[in-house]
Amino acid sequence: MKLIELKNVTKVFDDGRKKIEALKETNFSVEEGEFVSIIGPSGSGKSTFLTIIGGLQTPTEGKVFINDDKFSELQEKKRAAKRFEEIGFILQASNLIPFLTVKDQLQLVNKINKTKFDKKDVESLLEELSINDLMDKYPSDLSGGERQRAAIARALYHDPSVILADEPTASLDTDRAFEVVEILGRETKKKNKATIMVTHDERLTEYCDTVYVMEDGVLSKK
Amino acid sequence: MFLAWREINYSKTRFALIIGVVVLVSYLVFFLTGLAYGLAQENRTSVDKWDATGIVLADESNLNINMSMFPKDLMDDVEATETASLGVTSSVVQLVEETDDDSKVNVTFFGISDEEFIFPDVIEGEAFNGDNEVIADISLKEEEGYELNDELSLAGMDSTITIVGFTEDSKFNVSPVLYTDHETYQHIRASGFGEREDEIISAIVVQSDNGDLSGIELDSDDLELYGIDEFITNLPGYNAQVLTFGLMIGFLVLIAAMIIGIFIYVLTLQKSSILGVMKAQGISSKYIGKSVIGQTLLLTLFGVLTGLTLTLITGILLPNAVPYMNNFLFLISITILLIVVALLGAFFSVRTVVKIDPLEAIS
Repeated sequence: MKLIELKNVTKVFDDGRKKIEALKETNFSVEEGEFVSIIGPSGSGKSTFLTIIGGLQTPTEGKVFINDDKFSELQEKKRAAKRFEEIGFILQASNLIPFLTVKDQLQLVNKINKTKFDKKDVESLLEELSINDLMDKYPSDLSGGERQRAAIARALYHDPSVILADEPTASLDTDRAFEVVEILGRETKKKNKATIMVTHDERLTEYCDTVYVMEDGVLSKK
Repeated sequence: MFLAWREINYSKTRFALIIGVVVLVSYLVFFLTGLAYGLAQENRTSVDKWDATGIVLADESNLNINMSMFPKDLMDDVEATETASLGVTSSVVQLVEETDDDSKVNVTFFGISDEEFIFPDVIEGEAFNGDNEVIADISLKEEEGYELNDELSLAGMDSTITIVGFTEDSKFNVSPVLYTDHETYQHIRASGFGEREDEIISAIVVQSDNGDLSGIELDSDDLELYGIDEFITNLPGYNAQVLTFGLMIGFLVLIAAMIIGIFIYVLTLQKSSILGVMKAQGISSKYIGKSVIGQTLLLTLFGVLTGLTLTLITGILLPNAVPYMNNFLFLISITILLIVVALLGAFFSVRTVVKIDPLEAIS
C-alpha cells in the first residue's frame, strides 16, 4: 500500500522579479515498509521536497497524499493535526525539547492526544533502541547518538504511518551514523512505516530500499 | 500545564528569579495599598464611627469644619431622626510632668453631649463626668503610653485635663481625638478665639432612618446640609492623599503586569526555535499557547501570593505608629487585577507563538 504519494507536484518560489523552480514536476510514492533515501548536494531542493511531503509548505501545483488522504489540500490547522497523527519527524539537530526528559518527551504525546501514558509501551520501545536506561535523562545529558535514538523513539511513539528524517546523522561520527540509519531501517520494516531519509552522505544508503538523487529540482531514481 | 510545569522545574534558577521579581513588585503594591488605606482611615475613622447620614455646617464654611461655627441653639432648626451637636478644635497636649518638645502631641478635641448618638463606646475606664475630663483615642495609649487618670496640659491654657476613658478608632485628620463635654470644649476653644457668650459648636451631625438626606429638614439660611461622604471627601488633604496613592498603586499594578508580560515574552522568544520544531511536529499553537498562559498563571499566582503573605506578616510586625491597615477587599481585588493583567501580557507571547513559522525552525 502506498503511504506517501505525490502527483505532478511542483514548487515555484516567486519573489516578484524572478521565478525559481525549486521542484520540477515530480511523481513519487513510498510503500509501507519501504525505506527511501534522497541524496543530493545542498541547495538541490531536497529539504523543500521533504517539507512539502511533511505539509510544512504547500505545492504550487499537484497533490500530496498521505495514507490515501489529500494531505496538501487540507486547511492549515487540519494539516497540523494530521501531521501530528501521521508523520514522525527526525531532524538534524534532533527534535527533542530541551526541558523534557526522554520519558516526558513521549508522555507529551499522550498529553496532547489525550491518551493514557503506558510505561510498559515506553519501556519496550526504548529497549528496542537500547536507550531504556536513559529514560529520566534530559537531552543535554545524552551523547549525539543517544539523542538521535531518542528522537527516533519520539518519532515512532505515536505510531505514525510516515517517518521523515532530515539529515538525521549530520552531527554524528561515522559509526554512530551507521548505527542510527540501521535502527531506522529496522524499525521501518518492523513497524511497516514509509520512511524517507534526506542525506548528503552516500555511504549511508546501503540500508535503504530505494535511493533517489535530487539535482536542481529534478528527482530521479539512482 | 504539563510543559509549563516541566520547564519551570528544569530551569529552576531562571524561574526563581522571575518569581522573585514578581514577589517584590507585588509586595510593594500590597504594602503601599495597606499604607495608603491606613493613612486614609486615620483621616476619617472618627467620622465613620458616627454612622451618620449627613452633617450640618455653617453656610460660609466651604465644607471645612474648622471654619464652621455657630450658636448651639440653631440645633432647633434641624429636623432629623437623630441629631448631635459637635464642637471641633485642634490643640496640642502634653503630660503635665513633661516639658520637652518631643512629648507634645497634636490632637483634635470633639466637644459632645453624652445624651447624643455620636457619643463613643468606652472600652477602658469610664465616660467623662464633669469638668476637664476626656475620653481619649486608644492610640494615645498605644503610641504615647498615656494611661487612665493621666493629667495633660494644653497649649495656651492654664488648667489641665484628665483622661478618664479610652475609645478605639477615633482619628480625625491623622490625629487622635479627645472627647469632652461642651463646657470644657468651650474653654479649650476660647483659648484660641476669645470667650463668647453663646455656646458655640462647629457642626450638627444628623442621622435619618432611611439613610437618605431627603429625610432631613433644615430651616436656616446660615446652615448647610452635606452628605457624610461629601464631607469626608472634602476633609483637608484627604482627597489629594487618596488620589495620589491611588494613582501610584494603579501605575504599580500596570508596571508589575508589564514586567511579568515582558519576562514571558522574552522567554517565548528565546525558545521560539524549540516551539517551531514542536509546531513542525504538528503540535498546535493552541496547545503551546495554553502552556504559555498556564506558565504565566503559575508564576504570577506563586509570586503574588508570596508577596501577599509577606505583606500580611509585615503588617503584623510593624509598630503601631505606622498607619498600616489591611483591607481584604482591596488585597483580593489587587491580587486578581495583577493576575488578570499579567495574563493579558501573556497573550502577546501567544501571538508570537501563532506567528512562528515551523518551516523556518527546521531549515
